[in-house]
Amino acid sequence: MRQILTILWDSYRLLAAKKLFWIVLSLSVLISMCYASVGFTPEGISVFFGAYHIESDIIVADSIFAEYLYMMIFTDYLVPWWLGMFALVLALISVCPVFPDFLKSGSIDVAVSKPVSRVTLFLVKYLGCLLFVAIQVLIFCVIVFFAQGLRVNAWNVEVFWAVPLLTFVFSLIYCVAVLTAVWTRSTLFSLLMALLMWGVTLAVQWAEMFAYAEAYTKPAVGMQMDFKTGEISYSDEPQEPDAGMVKFHNVVKAVGSPLPKTREATYLLKKKISIQGKNMTRMTEFIDMSADKYERRQAKAQEAYENRHSQVYIIGTSLAFEFCILGLACWMFTRKDF
Amino acid sequence: MSEIVIDIAETRKKYRGGVEALRGVSLQVPGGGIFGLLGPNGAGKSTLVKILMSIVRPTQCMGSMLGLAIGHKPTLARVGYLPEHARFPEYLKGGEVIRYVAGLAGVSRSTAKQRSTELLEMVGMKDWGNHKMGTYSKGMKQRIGLAQALVNDPEIVFLDEPTDGVDPQGRLEMRNLLQTMRDQGRTVFINSHLLGELEMICDSVAIMDKGQIIRQGTIGELTEKSQRYELRTQGDISSDLLNKLTSDGVEIEGDTMSVYQADPTPMQPILDALRSEGVTIVELREVRQSLEELFMESVSGDGVGGIQKNSTPPQLPRKETV
Repeated sequence: MRQILTILWDSYRLLAAKKLFWIVLSLSVLISMCYASVGFTPEGISVFFGAYHIESDIIVADSIFAEYLYMMIFTDYLVPWWLGMFALVLALISVCPVFPDFLKSGSIDVAVSKPVSRVTLFLVKYLGCLLFVAIQVLIFCVIVFFAQGLRVNAWNVEVFWAVPLLTFVFSLIYCVAVLTAVWTRSTLFSLLMALLMWGVTLAVQWAEMFAYAEAYTKPAVGMQMDFKTGEISYSDEPQEPDAGMVKFHNVVKAVGSPLPKTREATYLLKKKISIQGKNMTRMTEFIDMSADKYERRQAKAQEAYENRHSQVYIIGTSLAFEFCILGLACWMFTRKDF
Repeated sequence: MSEIVIDIAETRKKYRGGVEALRGVSLQVPGGGIFGLLGPNGAGKSTLVKILMSIVRPTQCMGSMLGLAIGHKPTLARVGYLPEHARFPEYLKGGEVIRYVAGLAGVSRSTAKQRSTELLEMVGMKDWGNHKMGTYSKGMKQRIGLAQALVNDPEIVFLDEPTDGVDPQGRLEMRNLLQTMRDQGRTVFINSHLLGELEMICDSVAIMDKGQIIRQGTIGELTEKSQRYELRTQGDISSDLLNKLTSDGVEIEGDTMSVYQADPTPMQPILDALRSEGVTIVELREVRQSLEELFMESVSGDGVGGIQKNSTPPQLPRKETV
C-alpha cells in the first residue's frame, strides 16, 4: 500500500508541475464561472450575472424547464465539448510524455529495481495519469453543483457522475497512448496514435448516430427529407424504418462494436442525472402538456435514440477494448528489458 | 569480509537480435566489503547488475542474492541501487527524491523522513535538500543518487559507474562515502571502468570481458604473482657476483635488478653482497602490478578478451619505495 500511495502522490506532483495542468484548470474554472453567471428571473434568463437578459415565457425562475435547460447546458454542451473534447485533448498532450519519460533508461531502473511488482507499478502509474482529468472534472463539477444549487435550487449530486465518466473516457484514449509508449518510448508517436484512435472511434460513432437517425428516428417522427432539394416534410403517421439505412446502420454498429464508445460514454451522463426524479433522456416525461402529436412523436423518437444502446453495451464494450489494450501494454511492460 | 552475499552461476543473457551480453557468468561476492566489477564498455557489467536488480530478465541464471533466488522481489527491499546515468524527476526536490524512493522501497513515512535528513547530511547536500533536482549540477545529482540508494538501509548497494561525469573533488568525496558505507558493514558492489579509482578502494574485484568473468579475487591475490623488488645500483659489479645473482633468479637489466618475491627477506643477502663490493644502492622499491596492468593483461592477447597487445596504452606500475 505504501508503494501504491507513493506512486499516486508522485503522479499528483508530476501533474502539478505541469503548466498545462494549471492552464486547463484555469480555463475550466473560467468556463464554469460563465455557467454560474447564467440565472433565471420571472421574466426569463439572465446572463453574466445579470449583465444581459433574454425574455422567455416558458423558461423562467422556478420552472422545470429552467432547471432542464440549465442542466442540459451542462450535459449537452459543457461536458461533451469542453470537458469531453478540448480539455481531454489538452490532458492528453500533457500526460502523453509521462510514460515515455518514465521508461527512459536511468529513470525506469530505479522504479523497477524496488520491491514493487511491475504490474502494480504499471497500473498505478496509469491510474495516476488519469488524475489529471479526474481533478479537473471534479473541480468543474463542484462549481457546477453550487451554481445549480444557487441558481435553480437543484442540489443535484448526480452531476458528480461526470467525474468517473469523463475519467473513464479519457482512460479509453490514454490506454492507446500508453501501449504505444511502452512499445516505442516515443511521446510524439504515442500522442499521434491516441489521437488517431480517438478520431477513428469518433468517426464511427458519428456515422452510427447518423445512420440510426436516418434509419429509425426520422421515420418514427414521420420526417422525410429530400436530399436533392433539402426540403423537409412530415407525414401524418410514423413511417417504417428505411431498409437500406437499417442495413447500413447494422454494418456501422458491427464495425464500432469492438471500439471504445467515447462519445456515448460521455452522453451517459444524461442517463445518470435526473431532474425532479426524471431521467434526462426520458424526453416524453418532460414534454409540455400542450404539445401536439408531432412534438410528442418527436420526443418519443428522441427518447428511443438516446436510449438505443444500453449502459452495459457502452461500458462493457469500451471496457473490453481498454482491457485488451492495457493488458497488452502491461504484458509488454512486465516482459521488457530496461 | 564474511559470507558470500551474491552467488551466481551460469548466468546468460541473449537479447533479441542475437546479441549475447552474458555468456555463462559465475560470480561470488563476499559480504561487507567493496567489490569492483571491471570491464571495458560493452563487457556486460551493467547487464549483470540489471539482472541482479530484476531490471533485465536473464536467459538463464542460477544462484542467489542475500540467500534468496535472483529475481525475488522482496529481497530488493534489502538492496540499494544507483543506475548508470540515473535520472530523477526534475520537478522533485533532492529530499523528495530520497523520500519517493523510500516509499517505493516500502520504507515507512516517518523513517523515510528521518533517513532523508541523515542521508542529505551524509552526502553533503544538507543545504540543498529543498532545491529542485533541475537546479543541481551533475555531481550533486550523483550525491542524491547515492543517498537514495541508501534510504532503505540496504545490505548491498549497487553503484553503476558512480563517478562517471563527476569532477576530481567529487570523486574523492565519493570514495570517502564508499569507505563509510563499508565501515557501516554494507557490501558495496561497484561497476566501473575507472580502474585507478577502484584500485584505491576495492577489497576484491572481478574482471569481465565479452560477457564472461575472466578473473576474480582480492587485489592482493590477483597481483601476487607479479609482486617483485626492484633495485637500482650505481657502480661496477663484478662478473662473479653478476653470475651468482643471475643464477639465483635475479633479473638484471642495465643498472636495475628485479627479484620476483613478495617477501623482502631474500633481498637482504643481495644487498649485503652488493655493499660488500662497494656498489651504491640508489633505490630499492616494492613493485606490484597495478589493477590497470592486470586488467589489460586479462583482456588482451589470446584470452577471452582479445584486445590487441599493441593497443595497450603506456602504463606506470604502482611503486612503493622502501
